Amino acid sequence: MEKAGRSFGSFTAVTVKHCALIALVLLAVFPLYWMVVTSLKPESEVFTSSLIPLHITLDNYVQAWNAIPMGRMLTNSFVVAVIQTVMQLLTSILAAYAFTRWEFRGSNLIYGLIALTWLVPFQVIMIPNYVAISGFGWRDQLAGLIIPNIASAFAVLQLYNAFKSYPKPLIEAARLDGASDWGVLWRTIMPNLKAPIASIGILLFITSWNDYFWPLLVTTKLDNSTVQKGLQMFISSDGNMWGALMAATTIASLPVLIIYLLLQRQIIDSFVKGGLK
Amino acid sequence: MAYKKRLAAALVSLALIATACGNGATGSGTDAANGGNAGVNEQITLKFYSYNLAIASQVPGTEKLISEFEAAHPNIKIDAIPVSSTDINAKVQADIVAGSAPDVAQLTFDGLDFAVNNFNAKPLEDIVAADELKSNFEGFSPNGLKLGQLNGKTFGLPFTFSTPVLFYNAKLFEEAGLDPAAPPTTWTQVKEYGLNIAEKTGMTGAHVGGATGGDWIIQALIGSNGGQALSDDRKTIKFGEPEAVEMVQMWQDLIKSGANGKLNDGEAIEAFSQGKIGMLLFTSALQSSFVAASQAGGWELKTAKMPAFGDKPTTPVNSGSALFILSDDKAKQQAAWEFLKFATSERGYTIITSEIGYLPLRPAIIDDPNYLKDWVEANPLVKPNLEQLDSLKPWVSYPGPNWKQIETILNDSVSKAIAGDVDVAAIMQDAQKRAQALIQ
Repeated sequence: MEKAGRSFGSFTAVTVKHCALIALVLLAVFPLYWMVVTSLKPESEVFTSSLIPLHITLDNYVQAWNAIPMGRMLTNSFVVAVIQTVMQLLTSILAAYAFTRWEFRGSNLIYGLIALTWLVPFQVIMIPNYVAISGFGWRDQLAGLIIPNIASAFAVLQLYNAFKSYPKPLIEAARLDGASDWGVLWRTIMPNLKAPIASIGILLFITSWNDYFWPLLVTTKLDNSTVQKGLQMFISSDGNMWGALMAATTIASLPVLIIYLLLQRQIIDSFVKGGLK
Repeated sequence: MAYKKRLAAALVSLALIATACGNGATGSGTDAANGGNAGVNEQITLKFYSYNLAIASQVPGTEKLISEFEAAHPNIKIDAIPVSSTDINAKVQADIVAGSAPDVAQLTFDGLDFAVNNFNAKPLEDIVAADELKSNFEGFSPNGLKLGQLNGKTFGLPFTFSTPVLFYNAKLFEEAGLDPAAPPTTWTQVKEYGLNIAEKTGMTGAHVGGATGGDWIIQALIGSNGGQALSDDRKTIKFGEPEAVEMVQMWQDLIKSGANGKLNDGEAIEAFSQGKIGMLLFTSALQSSFVAASQAGGWELKTAKMPAFGDKPTTPVNSGSALFILSDDKAKQQAAWEFLKFATSERGYTIITSEIGYLPLRPAIIDDPNYLKDWVEANPLVKPNLEQLDSLKPWVSYPGPNWKQIETILNDSVSKAIAGDVDVAAIMQDAQKRAQALIQ
């Protein structure tokens, strides 16, 4: 009797939990669903509230694809986001290693300064950076988009914490085996910190992918710009082209979705571990 | 909203830099005009920033305008660069600092003072001989020409602009027992009709747009009640004066009474498109998208002139943009003048009106079969808008580097005052005081 009662109680608890989770999932997924559905609706249906498109059409996709150089812009976005993410990870891994493993004069000061730069708004450094890249002749070039962003204070801070939590005895053991700093970093620490690095990587990728204002300044031609600037083309103060905007947004969010799916195992691991710490 | 705040912050920091860097160059634009077309025979490329090119639906018309110009002027090439209207001031300023300013820029009228004093825009009077300027502007709307003038000189040539117009839904009018042939002409009627529509149809009666996103409709309403946003000598902010306060009280009353819904402008545009709002005062540039929406939704769209305060004359204010010549190079200035001349010619305004969706400033072309006659007959809704050109007043730009902040203060104060049961006079007077402090 008692046993049945308890299992009934836990059944209710599980049901309640699942219902709450299902509701949250709907909340998260519905905007995406609505985006895709709207992108498939003809213009006359865009403002209707029907949950499924009554007359499915790909016109919006054709319109979006033709209105802006979508292929070029997606490629640019992808190249910029990948290179920028890899470079930011590389610089912050090296910095995090230096800060956690080496004791040198001024290390706290430098770490503090890096942490402070994270708080400086982009608007403050935007013009000096722009003047600098103009001086190098990098306007309207991918180099101008990428190079000012190859270091990320956010990534340094995050990885510093991840590196700090890595057990010291393991590193000392590697040291005893004669490994150099380089060897310790790449062969001992890195393989064990894949999860946090992947999760920071995806955050950096999304940040770079979504960046609007820097590409707006650096690039002039749409052919040389990233896709976020293209999305703006469907928005204006005189009304938005919802169908084409949703189609373009759907296309633009696919790469991020794919990257997320590819890395999701690592990310979930990282969040779980982060939560348990 | 967060984006707007960031943009505002960007503009302020930009303004500081430009005031520091811009002063050295001021004064170089006062050379005498060097006479007509001389020097436009070499190959010239003009860097042109345009926000029409950053709006997908307006790209084909704008490209057509540019390619027709290039075909007629084989020695001038337009390097056209799309920049959205909300970012164009920041982009021009950054490029001036970086030494790569555009030769011609399309800028909104509220930035006129700033373009003149900080972007070093060149007055046409210094570039073009007086008699050529005079003959070119024959047939141009005299009110229209004033839009881009400051201190008696023409810095901006009106390019794509619109006026506030009252859109209304004839179907909802009929359902509410109102005559679609007799739209309201005063704000008292708007309230009465709005309440009627709300009561009989259950839809929203009216929406007055423009409380957010630029102050041109607010300026139009203040002017229509006999007030001003800025004094004629450009030294005193006046939007806390009784005429302005009374206007905002009318607006607040529309909302409080239930005649005007509580949607924001973006929601109102969509709700009106769906046939759920009886009347909407907003930019005439929305017309083509409303025509499409009304056809798809099975209701009839109609337009009327901006309503009046009793028997006072209305003062429609333009939104939109002018073309500014920023280049210091004499040959480029002449080439730019050729481009401005074409863009605002009979043919230019024909393309601008029929294919980009703005208004012609050469009134005669609407009766000319070579230009807009057929188009106006097919699109009669544009007529109230054209009639308003006779009483058009310029969108006043605030002086100094804080112009955008002053505009934001006015937008925010009006939004706050109309939204609740608050003391309008106190809010508007406080706004006036804060804005005045920014132009000292």
